[in-house]
Formats: sequence, C-alpha cells, structure tokens
Amino acid sequence: MKDILTIGLPSKGRLRESALNFFKKNNLELASKGGDRDYFASLNKLPKAKVIYLHAREIIERLGDGTLDIGISGLDLLSESAINLKKRIEVTRKLDFGKANLVVAIPNDWIDVQTIADLEEVSFYFRDKKNLRLRVATKYPNLTNKFFTAKGVTQYKIILSLGATETYPFTGSSEIITDITSTGSTLKANNLRVLKDGTILESQACVLISKQSKKKASESDLPKSFF
Amino acid sequence: MKSKNYSKKISKIFKKRGFVFLEPDVILDSNYIIQRSGENFKKLMFTFEDDSGKNMCLRPDLTVASCVKYLEENTKGTSKIYYSGQAYRKSNNSKDSIVNNQLGLEIIGSKKKSSDDREIIDTILKAINKIKIKKIIINIGDVSLFRQLIDSLKIPERWKLRLVRHFWRPKYFEDLLNRLETNSDIDPIAVDFDKKRFSEMKKLNQNEEIAGRKISEILSRFDKKISDPRSFAEGKKTAKIIREFLEISCPIGKMDKSLKNFFKKYNIKKNIIKSKLPIKSLSKSNYKIIFSTNFGRDIEYYTGMVFEISASKNKQKIARGGRYDDLLKNLGSKKNIPAVGAAIYLDNLSKITQ
Repeated sequence: MKDILTIGLPSKGRLRESALNFFKKNNLELASKGGDRDYFASLNKLPKAKVIYLHAREIIERLGDGTLDIGISGLDLLSESAINLKKRIEVTRKLDFGKANLVVAIPNDWIDVQTIADLEEVSFYFRDKKNLRLRVATKYPNLTNKFFTAKGVTQYKIILSLGATETYPFTGSSEIITDITSTGSTLKANNLRVLKDGTILESQACVLISKQSKKKASESDLPKSFF
Repeated sequence: MKSKNYSKKISKIFKKRGFVFLEPDVILDSNYIIQRSGENFKKLMFTFEDDSGKNMCLRPDLTVASCVKYLEENTKGTSKIYYSGQAYRKSNNSKDSIVNNQLGLEIIGSKKKSSDDREIIDTILKAINKIKIKKIIINIGDVSLFRQLIDSLKIPERWKLRLVRHFWRPKYFEDLLNRLETNSDIDPIAVDFDKKRFSEMKKLNQNEEIAGRKISEILSRFDKKISDPRSFAEGKKTAKIIREFLEISCPIGKMDKSLKNFFKKYNIKKNIIKSKLPIKSLSKSNYKIIFSTNFGRDIEYYTGMVFEISASKNKQKIARGGRYDDLLKNLGSKKNIPAVGAAIYLDNLSKITQ
C-alpha cells in the first residue's frame, strides 16, 4: 500500500462527471472494473495508483487522515471543515468546474431587506420585540458564523440542515438560509432572494493533496496539470 | 509571592470594606449568556449538553456568574460581594491561557452610582497598594458618553441604533462610518422595483406572516427606510464628529476642558457632560490617569464608567472593571438592577512584583 498513490474522486452527480472529464483531458483512462456500484478503479497509465469513488465531503475527511493522498472536491467543503482537517490539506490547483457560490438568501417578500445591514437590524428586532433570535438554516455552519460575525450580525441562531434547505423559511423551521447555488434557479423557484452583499464564498472544484503525501505525489507520474 | 498569598491579602481588604464572599457556580445554563450575546460569544465558551439536553457551559467570566447567582438567590436590595475563582475561555491565540484566575468585587442593586463607582476604584487601588505595586497607570473612560453623543446628532433613528450597537466592534464600526460617509446604504433602483411590490403587499392580509415576520412589519420598516432623511453632506459631517470624538484622550485633569471644547466646536448640547462622570473626582488623586473616549470598547456589557490599571514597568494588566447596568436585566431580571464591579488579574501580579 505504501507506494500506491490513492486518489479520491466524487462518486455522484455533475462533480463526478466533470472530474472524470478532467482525467480524460489529461489522457488518463479510468479502467473501472464494474458499474456504478464499484467504488474502486485503476488508471491505465499509472499502475502505481488507484482511484476510490467517495462522497465529496468524505474525500476531505480521508485526505485529512491520510488514507487518500490526493483528491478532487469542492473548495466550499474544504473551507467549511474543521481547523484540524484544513491544516493537513493543501489546494494544489483550482479547476474550472464545479463553480458555485455560498450565499445568504431571504424570502423574496422581505422587501425591506436588501443588504446584510438590513438583516442585522431585523435580527435585533427579533431579539428586542419577539425575544427570539433569527434562525439561519444551513449546511455550512462554520462559514456562516464567520461571515456573519465579520459583518456585525450577532443576534442569530444556526439551524443545521442536511438538505432541502430552501424549504426551511416556509415550513417554519428557520427565517432565512445560507446555501450553495450555481445558477440561483432553485432559490428563485422557492421564492428566495440572495442579498446584495450576501456572497459568503465563491467555490469551485479543486485538486487537493494531503500534506503528508506531497513527496509521494510529486514522485508519481501524475501530469503537471494536477499541481 | 504566590498568587494564593496575594489572594489572601486582597480578600482581607475586600472584607474589611464590607464585601461579602460569594461562590458563583462553575457550570451555567449557557442559554442565559447566548441569548444575550449571540453566536459570536459562544465561540469563546466551553459548552456541552447535559443528560437532559440542556445547554450548559463553564463560566466564561465571574461577573456574569455572580450576577446569575444574585438572581437565583432572589437577593433584595444592595449586595456587596467579592469572589475568587477560575474563569474558562477558549482563545485563538495559543499564548492566552484557558484558565484565568479572577479575584473581584461587585456592588449590585445600589442606586448610589457615583459613590459606588468611586468605591470600586478606591478598593482596587487600596488592594494594589497593599501588595506593594507602586507605579501604575490608570486608563479610564465612560461609554455612556458615546451613547449620549449619538443621541444628540441629527441622523436617522436606525443609524443611531446601529452605531450604538456596534460601538463594541471597532473594526465593523469603522465600516459603518465609511458607509455613513458615502451614503451607500440605499439603492434607488432596487427601491423603485420594490415599491411596486410594496403596493401589492399593501392589499394582502397584514397579519399574515412571511418567514416569521408580519406583512405589516415588513412594510412599515420599508416605508421608514425609504423616507429616512439622507443627505450626503450630513452623513459626512456626522462621521467626522464621531471620529473626532473618539480621538479625545488626555490626562484626567483636562477631561472637562477637552470635552467642553469639543461640544462647543460642533454646537452640541452641553448637558451631555453636566450629569456625568463620577470619575471626575479622581483628578485630585496622585495617580497617572488617562481619560479616553475610545476606552472600554471591547466588552459589550459595560454601560458607563470603565477602567483598567496596568503596571508602568512592563504594561502588565493588574485590574479592570466598570459599570454594567443592563447585564442583570439581560440575564432575566424583570427590574433594572444597576451594578458595578472590577476584577484583579491574579496571574499577572507575580510577573510585576518579581
């Protein structure tokens, strides 16, 4: 195992397709032995490497503990992860796919709210008049906290969401949300609007490397476009 | 000398002056504190869930812990207390210690604000004298002055609230001033578009809620926002006044004159400084005391006088304190309960006397 370079690729959706494309462009054919249920693949030109298909979040975790040497995943997921994890991972290259923004979105009909400053005022209104804190549903609590704190919004409470975050404001689970969006159409379809200064992070797919595997990766036959 | 010995000596002085020992709880219901401070403060606290699912934390501060105790024991009237113990806070800076030994005193529920402020400072000074630290610098301020200045300015109400709320975050506060200066607050195009929606929404049931807010509430805030007086020149002038005010810093003996000159220059009502400043009486003491309008901006619960004492020799902090009249209400009291207090940094004392 020691001299085998382990590469993590997203196992689902558009990110997987684009990642496979990126490999193709670099003349790396993935000889997948099975169908969609096969988690492992080998590379025709790199006999000393193996590919594992994993959830994009899982790729970050496994780069952190060193089971993966190199991988492709989203910048948003890396930025959101715990400090101990981030310390062990390096971005070697940003790729031109998987582009999406993490944004603050509010109900369309909150016409008095255009900016974070408005939101901050409303949050104080919630505290002073209703004795409640504004609830923010998100899959990205760390990035959201950091952003709000920097913008002076302090009177809120995070509601952790695992999916379908757009529905939260209309089911009474939260008042507003932060979520990742590439075209904004899902938000629009759900009567939500992005605040004018509400971009938390511009994300894209990246080649990530486990810091302890740097030497191993550079000695491998991976093409330059990975670094 | 070990901090234990310091603690003994200083406690004796506190006791002599009528302060009674109180032992605040180490573990607190963290909802108390977060409800007040929001997620930001939560980052500093060691929190966990107990078996019943209640959010608890290690006390981040003994002032908060003693106020909680005061309320729990349903204390009536004035309470003069002192405490000694550890406070626990996380820090991003690995040089900071997580465990802080605090020895402090508080006067809770007394209306004699001026003399109480003075008593707290005097008692702390007496304690410092007792442990033979001679050369000290006292930095002092009064955060209520800023609030009164803002009150007297001609700017939209929401701007006043905003500036007062964010006085505690100097970096963000500077952003606000920049925004006030450039008036980059309202976008006329967006306003026009939303006016249409505004008239549509007027026709809906005003009590209907959209994500926790009544339509009437949204519309009234919208209305207020677009009718706020905004003139570019006004904003620029206001920002200048605020900036200049926050630059006032002088020996305490010159405080009165500096403030008066400032208010005269900008034609601001002078009664702001009439009521003020129990700390003025300090100008007769022999210590080196610096008054700054900018001082005391790092802890949100202060409402009036704020002071900090450090050693001239190596700038080590010895003690700090101030008045916090809103804290008990924020912790759940139905009445307003004034309070003032200060704490000594026990861990620093040995670094100074060495």
